[in-house]
Formats: sequence, structure tokens, C-alpha cells
Amino acid sequence: MTVPLGAFIAVSAVLFFIGAAGVLVRRNAVVILMCVELMLNASNLALVAFARRAGHLGAGNPLDQRGSVFVVFVFVVAAAEVAVGLAIVLAAYRNRPTVNVDELHEMKG
Amino acid sequence: MFDFFEPLFFALFAIGVIGAGAAVVVLRRITAQALLMALTFACMAGMFLLLGAETIALFQVLIYVGAITILILFGVMFTKQDERPYGLFFQEQTPWAAAVVVVIALPVTLLAFSFKDPATPSAKGGDLIPLAASLFRDYAFPFEVASVLLLAALVGAIVLVKQDER
Repeated sequence: MTVPLGAFIAVSAVLFFIGAAGVLVRRNAVVILMCVELMLNASNLALVAFARRAGHLGAGNPLDQRGSVFVVFVFVVAAAEVAVGLAIVLAAYRNRPTVNVDELHEMKG
Repeated sequence: MFDFFEPLFFALFAIGVIGAGAAVVVLRRITAQALLMALTFACMAGMFLLLGAETIALFQVLIYVGAITILILFGVMFTKQDERPYGLFFQEQTPWAAAVVVVIALPVTLLAFSFKDPATPSAKGGDLIPLAASLFRDYAFPFEVASVLLLAALVGAIVLVKQDER
């Protein structure tokens, strides 16, 4: 008895919607970064589940591991994104001591 | 005999992922939110193990549970957190949000549950050697581009947070 792959896809979809709701609802810049990370991680779960379904996953596989490779690139992009995002939050915080994104409207012109 | 282990662990990890993820969005205590985000990532690593992607689970623990959580906690500590009240459920966009959720989430859910498992499941585990061969042979150029992206992010983060010495 194994878990159907659709269950993994369903968990991935639910986590993605939770993250999207957090990005849209919360106004704290650090919390928004956390929710973006949740969305990226949900996409990773979907990628791995689809890679398993396509038979691209596992030992001694003659096919290339394109799903896993893409997940590795998502890791790289997520790490770069959170580093630069937090740097931007800290730089904006130095100008105006708040992390509320509603109050950071100086670039609107 | 141990057939029930996999659904049991899947249920535990699913509750962990969804419960902790929802708590990240709903709670107001920022340190607890960051640690619950780490719990979400740890349960997600368990999901990767269940799917047979051991190396990805290892990277998940190293990068997400380790590095990104620490980075977010540093961001929390460097800034003053004055959380404003916000309306999560009772605000004027709620009907629009519900309509969007119905339009998008229902097809996604139907698609997820109409999903057929592969007839011959591939062997689980031991994906480090195929992944490494694939990454360094077939995808060597994107790998180098990703390293350049990381270098650019490193330099950019340092430049952005550097104090002006004027």
C-alpha cells in the first residue's frame, strides 16, 4: 500500500495557496519573504512528484534526472532570493525604520 | 506487515506541512512564525524521502531548514517588528478572493486526484549518483549559470547592506 502521487500534488497545491494568501494578506516584509519561500517549496514538491511519475527518479535510472536538477536550481534561486530580499529589507529599514510594506512607498515617485 | 508505515508518515508530514504553513500565515509572533516555517521545511524533507528523492531531502534540510531559516531569523532580529492588525477573513476583498479560489483551486484539486500512478514504479532511493551525473554532464552549463547567479546575489547582498562611509 503506497501513497498515491496525487496526494503529494494536493499537498503541494494547498501549501502553494497558503503561501500565496500570506503574500497577499500580510504586510510585514519578512513574513512576505517567508511565504514566498513556502510557495517555492510547494513547487519543489510538485516537481519531485511529477519526476517520480515520469520515471525520472531513482537508482540506476537511464533517463536524466531533469526533475531533481530543476529542484536544485530552485534551491539556488530561493537562496539567492532570500539573501537579496533581506538585504533590500535591511537597506529600506535603514532609511525608514519599518518593515511594513504599506509604508515603504518612496519609490512610487 | 509494515505497509501502513508509508501512509502514516505521509499523514504526519502532510499535517505538519499544512498546519505549520497555515500557522506561518495566521500567527503574529514573528519568531514562532520563522521556527514554524522551519518545521514546514523539515516535514517537506520527509515528503521528499517518501517520494524516494533522498538527495533532494538532504539539500532541503541543509539549505532550507539550515541556511534560509537562519537568514530569516537574522532579518527578524535586525529589524523592529511592529505588526499592524490586518484582516485575514473579514475584509472587503473576501468575496473576490473566494471566487478566485473556487475558479483555480477546484480544477487543481480535481487534476490532482485524477492523477494516475505509474504502472511500473521506479526503484526508490540511491538517487545521488544519477543526479550528480545528470547535473554535471547534461546540465553543466545551467549549473555554471546558477553559480554565477549565486555570486551575483552574494555581491549584491553585501553592497545593499554595506554602510556608507561618507
